[in-house]
Amino acid sequence: MIQLRNVGKQFGRRWAVRDLDLAVPRGEIFGLLGHNGAGKSTTIGMMLGQVWPTTGELRICGHDITRNRAQALYRVGAIFETPVFYDYLSGWRNLEILSHYTAPTPPEHISKIVEWVGLTGREHDKVGKYSHGMRTRLALAQALLPDPELLILDEPSDGLDPEGIHEMRLTIQRLQRELGLTILLSSHLLNEVEQLCTRIAVLNQGRKVFEGTLADAKQTKQWVRLNVGDFTKAVARLQSEQLITGTRNGSLVALADGVKTDVLVRRLVAMDIPVFEIAQEEETLEGFYLNLMQDSRAEKSPPAAH
Amino acid sequence: MFFLQLRSELVKLFGKKRTYIGFGVFLLAQNLMLLAFRFSNWKNIYAKLLEGNGYLSDEFVSALTVAVILLYPQMVLLMPLYVTLVGGDLVAKEAEDGTLRMILSRPVSRFRLLFTKWLTGVIFSTILVISLGAMALFFARMRFAWRRMFVWFPLPEGTLIFNVLGPDEGLKCYVLAHFIMALNATTMLSLAFMFSCFNMKPAAATILALSLLLVCFVMELLPFFADWRDFTLTHHLRSWVYLFSKPVHLAQIAESMCVLAAVNVTAFVIGATHFHMRDIKS
Repeated sequence: MIQLRNVGKQFGRRWAVRDLDLAVPRGEIFGLLGHNGAGKSTTIGMMLGQVWPTTGELRICGHDITRNRAQALYRVGAIFETPVFYDYLSGWRNLEILSHYTAPTPPEHISKIVEWVGLTGREHDKVGKYSHGMRTRLALAQALLPDPELLILDEPSDGLDPEGIHEMRLTIQRLQRELGLTILLSSHLLNEVEQLCTRIAVLNQGRKVFEGTLADAKQTKQWVRLNVGDFTKAVARLQSEQLITGTRNGSLVALADGVKTDVLVRRLVAMDIPVFEIAQEEETLEGFYLNLMQDSRAEKSPPAAH
Repeated sequence: MFFLQLRSELVKLFGKKRTYIGFGVFLLAQNLMLLAFRFSNWKNIYAKLLEGNGYLSDEFVSALTVAVILLYPQMVLLMPLYVTLVGGDLVAKEAEDGTLRMILSRPVSRFRLLFTKWLTGVIFSTILVISLGAMALFFARMRFAWRRMFVWFPLPEGTLIFNVLGPDEGLKCYVLAHFIMALNATTMLSLAFMFSCFNMKPAAATILALSLLLVCFVMELLPFFADWRDFTLTHHLRSWVYLFSKPVHLAQIAESMCVLAAVNVTAFVIGATHFHMRDIKS
């Protein structure tokens, strides 16, 4: 559905996105993660033909977006972080106007969508009178107008209250379940991505630092909670014996490949370090993401001078 | 599809209250000028001018004469302001508000979008000019009789257009002048539209277009630029007054209309080219 090959975008001397390869298959909810300025919105802009790529090739629904934009976007819907409309016109009129940029849309189809998003009864009110939640519903309605196969959502929960975020989450799940849409979700709300997406890609400073399933993300390291007499000493000894590969929060250690917890306990006891508790710790997406960012920063920063 | 898109652009433009500011201000200005003409020394100056040339002032201070008197300062001072205000908004306001990004997530080409927007601007300019002319004539007719017409235009190059016309001939010239004035208004709008296609605020696009017109106007008035007068835009924007001269300066009018049409095309092409290359970001 979405295929990016070696895509890059340079603004002046700064690369906003660099060497990005991405593939989103049909029917998937794919999460695009990254902090503010990581390159998510630029990537989405390139996918929608709003930002010209400096390098690479982008194919949307099988068509090259730079050469064949009209066909590529014919069945694509998009929602941006803050839903903006013509406030002085009614919701219905806004939908009519936006539909005219894709194809003539019969009023019955607009009515059906208005009903689907739950705006029936308010569609003829001016958008200026809409609440943020209603604007989000209208944004969803305009995205559904072209009867899309692919939905691109750029921070759709931005500015919503917790109830609104919950409602948006349910709607996205419903869209995929009932309409079978492929959804690309860009967000920095890790909890939202964790609950919705099957696969994710993480961007940092314009580069992709991870792509895989959520299960892959959670299993990149096997974390163990370790409660011992002297944690610092234990870590130093275990690292020297290459039984662990990292630590976190002064209580977690990442086991090296092939190392099990019983080996760890045996070695600690042999080192005369008392072990009070040892337990497998399930990796959260938040933990994974923060680690990834930390690793990425460590790779980029030069070693300290001695 | 094209007409649906054009209709959408018209709905957007005429759905905004600020679109009507120009109409409102013209309505007010015309009535104030009409009152000033009737109750100040203004009318007497024209009467003396006519009588000094051997004409009876009662015969020529008519609805048509007054309508042209009302029209001239508004065309020079107010029209550029209101059409550039709308022209500057056409693209830049949508880019600023974020609605442009939503439109451009749809399979419409940038060129087509710009063309429909520009055409909407042309329609607006034409409606504004026609309304202005019709209102001027309507209000003038309410207070003055339908008689012969007298025109007197001093031009910056030192020449003077002085003519007397019968009511039918005068009305014909008055109507024809509005076609040229619609082209003038479109040209001013196209300049603002061109700047609006660049990455700038709507007000900046309006100010740049007005500045360009002001520079041309000042250049025309300065003797130092006398040789360049024919190249200034304001010189060509004034070509409608030649319709009232005797004999009618058809060559001058045709030349100016060609120049203005070329300016329109150039402004659109520059704007569209830049807009096509531009990245649209939030």
